[in-house]
Amino acid sequence: MIELQQLRKEFHLSHAGSFKTALLWWRKKRIERFEVLRGIDLKIEKGECVALVGRNGAGKSTLLSLLSRIYKPTAGKIIVGGKIAPLLELGAGFHPDLSGIENILFNGVILGLTRQQVQERMDAIIEFSELRHHVDAPVRSYSSGLLARLGFAIAVHVDAEILIVDEVLAVGDFAFEEKCYRRIEEFKKEGGTILFVSHEMDDIRRIADRCVWLKNGLVKMDGPVPEVIAAYQDDPEANEAL
Amino acid sequence: MWHELAELWQARELLFTLVERELRIRYKNSILGFLWSLLNPLLTVAVMWFVFKFYMANETPNFSAYILAAYLPYMFFQQAVLDSAQSVLQALPIVKKVYFPREILPLAAVCSSFVHFVLALGVFFVFLLVIYLSDPRVSPFSWNMLLLPIPLLLSFFLAAGTGLLISALNTFFEDVKYIVQVILQLLLFICPVMYFSEQVLAASSKHGHWMYFAYHANPVAMLCTAFRKILVAPQDPIVGGKSLPWLSLDWGLLGLTALMSFGVFIGGYAYFNKVKWRFVERP
Repeated sequence: MIELQQLRKEFHLSHAGSFKTALLWWRKKRIERFEVLRGIDLKIEKGECVALVGRNGAGKSTLLSLLSRIYKPTAGKIIVGGKIAPLLELGAGFHPDLSGIENILFNGVILGLTRQQVQERMDAIIEFSELRHHVDAPVRSYSSGLLARLGFAIAVHVDAEILIVDEVLAVGDFAFEEKCYRRIEEFKKEGGTILFVSHEMDDIRRIADRCVWLKNGLVKMDGPVPEVIAAYQDDPEANEAL
Repeated sequence: MWHELAELWQARELLFTLVERELRIRYKNSILGFLWSLLNPLLTVAVMWFVFKFYMANETPNFSAYILAAYLPYMFFQQAVLDSAQSVLQALPIVKKVYFPREILPLAAVCSSFVHFVLALGVFFVFLLVIYLSDPRVSPFSWNMLLLPIPLLLSFFLAAGTGLLISALNTFFEDVKYIVQVILQLLLFICPVMYFSEQVLAASSKHGHWMYFAYHANPVAMLCTAFRKILVAPQDPIVGGKSLPWLSLDWGLLGLTALMSFGVFIGGYAYFNKVKWRFVERP
């Protein structure tokens, strides 16, 4: 269960990046603010699979990051019931010089498992990712498809109740993509909640139960998938981007 | 702060895993592994020993052991601070994706440097044994060694506090790293590594005792002195043909260092916690 109440997020764009600029500009605080999320109200029930659509910069990724506790909201409330696991994009948490096994251990622990639990699931993760003999090779030798498979395999084995996916599904080959979809279906059946961002309307039609359209930091439309997609695609501004 | 410490305790497995990972990465691609980490202190001490024994007329027996005893804690502090300075910045891609207590990053850097330090101290004892076997007339061992946990604990907290502070600052201002590098390099000269604190006292007596006090108000200098007093047997240093009386460990000065170490830790941790939410929003 996820509930967002009047969620706002504002970023400060200061132009300091070094001591020099900080010292030069300390009097004139050149801080620009911009609001990415301007009051989001959203309720997602347990077991729902919700897709977020919207143009670049609409606040989709910021919303996911707020849920993962990466940012603190400027105002508003986030109520999350259950353990959240973000699906890491293309090996964000992988160290290139370490082997697959070592990286699985680290990623599992960072996503909240104990070392013991990771060890118990090691075989299942390796099998799901189809790494086979690559497990002992350093991760820098992996292809991007292999990395994506490993990332997905870890994320679905950490016992999360809520899975957060930010445009990462379309990286494996066709067979693996099918496998991911099957796993997602299973996850839904077990009562797991999924919130994902995608620009692939076909993916959304396939797995989402509900679609939320974000526009300029607000929920523009929220409802059944076909209607929201149709409205989103008919939006003149959305078409400009295409 | 208690809330943060409780959260840190819950994430201890992550800290442990990260330390293990750092130790692995450091030696992954080198066959000699741990030996490489000993190369730096042993070579440095060999050069210092040579220069100060033959050109600066330091005739103290087993002089090299006295240098090494003070150089190892200095090296720990230097390595811990430099490694932690980079820790948050390097991990930014994952920091932007997953939530975990951010202080784990600099703390893991400090902990892995601490592991090296402790291992190097093990080698130091082997070194003492070699010295003893080659010249059994003067034993370099002493019962003071039992006090070792005290300066170890203090140097850990001092390095952790400094590491937390520097890593947070370096995330916002990347030039902090360069400033810190210079300061750490200069620190070596104002710590009693290549010379003895007895010499500092002798030289200070011309200007007043406050000079000696000011010198040891630097917690790293005091810790170097403390490690030397504890690790090597008391012996009057002989410099330029003159014997200087050995000073025993000054508990008052060490108490001051303890206050400063814990103060730096609390201050550094508080500052880190205050700004850690802004790491991901840095421009």
